[in-house]
Amino acid sequence: MGAAAPGPVNDIRCEQLRFARGRQLVLDIPALRFAQGRVTALVGPNGSGKSTLLRLISALERPTAGRVLIDGNAVTPKLVREAVAYAFQAPVFVTGSVASNLDLALRLRHVPAAERESRIREAAAACGIEPLLHRDARRLSGGESQRANLARALALRAPVTLLDEPLAGLDAPGRRQLLHDLPRLLRQFASTTIVVTHDRDEALRLADEMVVLIGGRVRAAGSRAGVFARPPDAATARFLGYTIIPTKDGGVVAIAPRVLRAAPGDVPFVMDVEDVLDLGIRREAWGTIAGVQVSVSLPPGEGELPPRIEVSAPTGAVLRFEAGGEL
Amino acid sequence: MRAKTLALLTLIAFGVLFFAACGDDDDSGGAAASASNTPPAVATTATDAASETRPAQIGGEMILATTTSTQDSGLLDVLVPMFKDQTGVNVKVIAVGTGASLEMGAKGDADAVLVHAPASEKKYVDNGDLVEGQLVMHNDFVIVGPSADPAGIRGEKDLATTMQALAEAGGFISRGDDSGTHKKELELWKAADIDPATVNAREETGQGMGATLNVANQRQAYTLTDRGTFLALRDGFDLEVLFEGEKTLLNVYSVYLVNPEKHSAVKVEQARAWIAFLVAPETQALIGDFKKAEYGEPLFTPDAGKSLEDLGS
Amino acid sequence: MEAIWEGFREAIRLIATGDPELREIALRTVVVSGSATLLAMMVGVPTGYALARGRFPGRTLALGVVNTGMGVPPVVAGLVVWLLLVRSGPFGEMELIYTKRAMVIAQFLISLPLVVGFTTAAVQALPRELPDLLAVLGAGRLRTLWLIAREAQIGILAAVIAGFGSVISEVGASMTVGGNLRGETRVLTTAIVTETSRGQNANAMALGLLLTWVQQRRVR
Repeated sequence: MGAAAPGPVNDIRCEQLRFARGRQLVLDIPALRFAQGRVTALVGPNGSGKSTLLRLISALERPTAGRVLIDGNAVTPKLVREAVAYAFQAPVFVTGSVASNLDLALRLRHVPAAERESRIREAAAACGIEPLLHRDARRLSGGESQRANLARALALRAPVTLLDEPLAGLDAPGRRQLLHDLPRLLRQFASTTIVVTHDRDEALRLADEMVVLIGGRVRAAGSRAGVFARPPDAATARFLGYTIIPTKDGGVVAIAPRVLRAAPGDVPFVMDVEDVLDLGIRREAWGTIAGVQVSVSLPPGEGELPPRIEVSAPTGAVLRFEAGGEL
Repeated sequence: MRAKTLALLTLIAFGVLFFAACGDDDDSGGAAASASNTPPAVATTATDAASETRPAQIGGEMILATTTSTQDSGLLDVLVPMFKDQTGVNVKVIAVGTGASLEMGAKGDADAVLVHAPASEKKYVDNGDLVEGQLVMHNDFVIVGPSADPAGIRGEKDLATTMQALAEAGGFISRGDDSGTHKKELELWKAADIDPATVNAREETGQGMGATLNVANQRQAYTLTDRGTFLALRDGFDLEVLFEGEKTLLNVYSVYLVNPEKHSAVKVEQARAWIAFLVAPETQALIGDFKKAEYGEPLFTPDAGKSLEDLGS
Repeated sequence: MEAIWEGFREAIRLIATGDPELREIALRTVVVSGSATLLAMMVGVPTGYALARGRFPGRTLALGVVNTGMGVPPVVAGLVVWLLLVRSGPFGEMELIYTKRAMVIAQFLISLPLVVGFTTAAVQALPRELPDLLAVLGAGRLRTLWLIAREAQIGILAAVIAGFGSVISEVGASMTVGGNLRGETRVLTTAIVTETSRGQNANAMALGLLLTWVQQRRVR
């Protein structure tokens, strides 16, 4: 168990949760649980309701229907004040130094003076912003302010930590560095954590669990590996980076991200069935991948997929089933 | 953070202080209005007068509605402090146009009214809005203009001829503000059977006498003014008196009490004291001497006790 | 041209000799306009803050009223206050007409929409997430008010300055409700009108210079 999680079970549960803006239903979640003490990646395309969900968990918005519970208690501003640390996607600071900003956060959480100092130093050191403590918080570079934002949230050592795109706006080296450090930081300072990200890599590296939110609905939730291996529908699969090929008979085949090269003459080639998902009725599939016409034929018959499948492409074609990339 | 709190508290403290300071008007921000802008008038007469039958010290305040030209003459700057010395009453002089003064009386927004437009006053007296009226003084109107006198009215004795000449050859500046002066001007045009609207070179300023004289000066044109204001300001202008003495030009000042039966809030005691003060012999003497030393001629002629007919108006 | 130069000379003389009436008028001007602005600040800043942050029915209407208020000519405000305070008006019995208090009231009403409007703008210009941040961190309502006001302090200061500027240079309302009574309600602007209407351009000039100086000092 992480050092920061005292006694009570700090899981987050959503029950019959609905949120509407005007006429439009933005979130519709009958049931969802974020396990205690785990880091969960909350992923989904823009506008799918991820930030809204975080705002509901931190009582910045009130549900239209249903409720959010932390450790069995309904979420209220008072509860949030004691239990939740939330780092926004766009870091916001008040006038003053980085240190005073961290100090303000700790003061608002009623942390006694002596302890505030040590916590600030600890968080600053962990996040690598010690040299920045006396700088004007509003004059930091993108990467610096993200780290300061993170340090402020982590210093709170809250039972629930919400991070919204913690790596947004960082340049490649900064991102690499923080991606490397973050898991350790989370283990050190945070307990139950939700990280919102649109990047597959981040999700893979940071989280044990994953929740896919598309169009306000939870499409998949569970362990990272499980969600990746078994997307329930085409939208989720596409989102997770699968290449979707519609089949002749109205179904779709999703091919996991990988790169295959069909050398001249090496046609057709075969793929292991783990890399091909059967998402509907199909016998043959064809489509265009990166401008290249391909066809996938599956042997006739019902039931299980055979272990190997043929993929045909014109001679010399290079097929990339993209790995990485946008989620 | 501490400094900010301190600053805020100081600000609030000042605020409370300020508002308290705005409370008293009797011992207001400035002590006695010791004038640097208006030289005190005949001071000696005042001290002499002060030793005779003294009106009681009443105290309190009253609102006097009067005209801008009355105030601009400077007479009230002398009379009001004197009255305050004698009776302790603080007179608030609100100088607006004749029309507005009379209306203030009618609505009960003032306690006493001092104006100089007998024709307009009559309506209010008949209505019962203004009562206990007394003639106080008169001065006269004069027509002033550029020394060059392009309309050639200098020395002319007949009113109609003068007005005709002005309509044809002068530039004429009118106050156009419904004041006593304005009304008198309209009377003059009427007496000469001229419709002022047809006079091309006539302009209306809509302002007080001083400002109107300013315009006349700038344009080197003619205007009708009360002698008092002109005497007070003539050093600043390049104008001289070109027509005077005609009976229509008499400007008679009367003071009234706003009818307390119509308006219960009227400060009757103070207003009556003011009226009594204005017609008292010492005050009348003072009025007759006002500015005589300075201008070589008196501004006003005291008239207490006379009637309008007496003055041939 | 001559008049301006002469006026300037007279002005320096009056100011240099510390002419008592001039000082009295100047002091009164600052006291009246200062009080009015201070009151407008105490009422207007919290109101502006509430309008910027609150969500309540009638908010749009309130914002509209503020905007209209900003555009009302001061002399109209003065007329309204005069009608209310004059003896024949609804509050005539309070005998406030032609007093400094009446001027403070009128000037308060003139500067209030400006203070509210500018404060609202200043608070709205803050990062959208700031109130959220403070809410999640656990700042109470008073604390949030203080912190947000602190963040917007430059804009709020501008609001107060705008309010002060609008009333210290105002003449119509001050004249109407104050009556320009010598020694009681005469302030720099109304005194300028008096001197000008009497043709005393030099005195008017002196007052004008003093008014400009007073305004600049207060702004700083």
